[in-house]
Amino acid sequence: MTTDSQGRFSFSRGVHPPDSKHLTEDKPIAPGPPVKELAIFLSQHIGAPCQATVKKADTVQAGQEIGECQGFVCAPVHAPIAGKVKEITLRSHPVLGRSPAVTIVAESEIQPTPPAFTLPDGFDPQQYAPEQICDAAREAGLVGMGGAGFPTSVKIQHDAKPPKHTLLVNACECEPYITCDYRIMLEWTDQVIAGIRLAQRACGVSKVFIGIEDNKPKAIEIMTDALQKLGLGETMTVARLETKYPQGGERQLIDAVLGETVPTGGIPPQIGVVVLNVATAAALADAVINNRPLTHRVVTVTGEAIANPGNYYVAIGTPVETLIDFCGNVTTKSAKVVMGGPMMGLAIADLSTPITKTSGAITVLTKEQIGQAKFERRQTACIRCGRCLEVCPENLNPTRIAHAVKSNLLDVAERYFIGACIECGCCSYVCPANIELTGYIKTGKIFLARQRKKMPV
Amino acid sequence: MLKDITVSFAPHISKPLSTRRVMLDVAVGLIPAVAAAGVYFRLHALLLIGVCVAWCVATEWFCNVIRKKPNSLGDYSAVVTGLILALALPPGLPLWAAAIGASVSIVIGKMVFGGLGANVFNPAMVGRAFLTASFGVLMTAWAVPATIDSAMPAISQEGVVDTRTQATPLAWSKIAIKQQAEAETFSSRQFLSTLTGEVGGCLGETSALAILLGAAYLIWRRTINIHIPLAVLSSALVFGGIAYLIDPETYVQPFFHLTSGALLFGAFFIATDPVTAPLTRRGMWLFGIGVGAITMVIRVLGEYPEGLMYAVLLMNAVTPLIDRLCRRIPAGGRPNA
Repeated sequence: MTTDSQGRFSFSRGVHPPDSKHLTEDKPIAPGPPVKELAIFLSQHIGAPCQATVKKADTVQAGQEIGECQGFVCAPVHAPIAGKVKEITLRSHPVLGRSPAVTIVAESEIQPTPPAFTLPDGFDPQQYAPEQICDAAREAGLVGMGGAGFPTSVKIQHDAKPPKHTLLVNACECEPYITCDYRIMLEWTDQVIAGIRLAQRACGVSKVFIGIEDNKPKAIEIMTDALQKLGLGETMTVARLETKYPQGGERQLIDAVLGETVPTGGIPPQIGVVVLNVATAAALADAVINNRPLTHRVVTVTGEAIANPGNYYVAIGTPVETLIDFCGNVTTKSAKVVMGGPMMGLAIADLSTPITKTSGAITVLTKEQIGQAKFERRQTACIRCGRCLEVCPENLNPTRIAHAVKSNLLDVAERYFIGACIECGCCSYVCPANIELTGYIKTGKIFLARQRKKMPV
Repeated sequence: MLKDITVSFAPHISKPLSTRRVMLDVAVGLIPAVAAAGVYFRLHALLLIGVCVAWCVATEWFCNVIRKKPNSLGDYSAVVTGLILALALPPGLPLWAAAIGASVSIVIGKMVFGGLGANVFNPAMVGRAFLTASFGVLMTAWAVPATIDSAMPAISQEGVVDTRTQATPLAWSKIAIKQQAEAETFSSRQFLSTLTGEVGGCLGETSALAILLGAAYLIWRRTINIHIPLAVLSSALVFGGIAYLIDPETYVQPFFHLTSGALLFGAFFIATDPVTAPLTRRGMWLFGIGVGAITMVIRVLGEYPEGLMYAVLLMNAVTPLIDRLCRRIPAGGRPNA
């Protein structure tokens, strides 16, 4: 455990981008845009894609399973609204390119409203068997909602080896602009804590840490108070973290709070740690207590180019376009639509791309802002200043790897541990020569994956 | 609705920093040294600086034209090369020689390798080495600072250029020691002068205080990091100290080495040239220790009174090797280890 002079936890290196959370941090979670047509991807998680269980022209109920699991590491998908299946076609997916999606058309427009969550009287996680919690998470199609989308049921399994000792709740939200997790903590506090307790029960850990960056003092206060009130102060601790990017990267979070290192290429369970995002914890409570599948999520629509930025409760499958229109459209200066935050989010070209379980934000940036980013500015040769090495949270040599990829020397890139890169974007962010280091490294990883599969590079 | 949306890799925002800004910072960091040169060596110093900068910029422009490459002057690296070269020249050097040095710096030192970022050797040191090899006499004629009369001991020679000259403290101590003169008292008396810069020497190298002021700015701006200068100075101190301990009669005390000659200027402004120095922290220390050690070997054992230039050039040559030797290991350890 490493704390600085102010008693905050942190990791080494990293960057301090302006957090820009003022745009939406005081906007309560509001009902999202009314929708008539939704496109639900069959692959919204890490693992095997789902198989559609409905056909064209079938009628579906709200909450009905429309895609079933095809493997152990998988999460089913459900229909957010009642309606008819219009088609099952390829749609542009933010990560996978073109991917199959089920399009559902409702009879009339339906506006999603956040359901009232009430904790049953005398709620006690001990009432639920660990298997029961896991099964509920699996049936509800829960995945990590922080961005990676790893199926939650696999993560919180009880009998997995080695035994787990600590649950780390990731409430850092270190990406600039995004505030959905922050609002969830403020408004759905009981639900979040119930979810955390259920996850703790499921994986059988004794210690729980909730990591929150210190640019969200209100969330730290509310969570601490709530834990105090419930008398959970002994097993659950709120860890105040330095506001630094990528504090919410799970490897960095584990290093900051527990002082432990996840081996390169490894995952947190190897050292007995489970990392869960707060939004996922809230969804877990809903899934276990109310049997409600994951069909809606809170999305922050933000960026200087959005007329009315805010946090909305949105049906999964809503096109980005609809969401942007709902927020008063965009100003003429807009130039880039990013699914996610500006550091790791994916820029999209097709605005009909639907929201997935992992999209926490839509950030629309202006020309001026992206004018400050790499491709607009004049790029020079690498001057080997070493800033990328200074900020790399994984202690890599980004410039060496990126230039190896550029020269098509994939073996050199591997010798400099390209696989250990977490693609956080710190190197590109600081580069004075404006080289897209992260972009080269991502490309190199794709090339290597293709090479291993003996596909043409 | 949206038109012309841009799609690119993340991150979509970036720190407002550019190569030009980095180079500009170095130039700003050199202002105290330029000012000191102006104070001690007057008009000719400023002329030398002007000629070097102008000639470097012109040469780079010309190289871009004949290579049919886009103009690269916008990164201001030619200005920095010109400044560093000028500040490493003796104050009495004729302007035509400075111009030759500037051209060699840019053409042989940088452009033949493909421009900024691709050069192996520090361009300014390439130019200076060329001048030392070609015009040995001109390059070792040290004019007395205009602010003092003739405070230095009487080992001076006839003015080569149109001014009085004298030996630098290092050269003097070397000769004096050989003659078994009063080296000890001399060096302590001269120690203060090396701080303010009222001694003979290269334009920018004489005033330790001006150099430290500029270096402090660069470190505050995080344009250079402290590791290379620290390694150079501490290794010079250690090796100078060893020599002094072995034979205090023959060798000057180690602190004298730090403030005299090009060591301080070189540690902060020459050895820290990012293009030609290693990337990793361990590499930086290895590089710095090498520069300090070679400098001291040349100063103590060699014929030259000054050795930093060759030390930097030699260590530049092994920089790729150092980089390969000092690979960074990921925070999570080697994969599958």
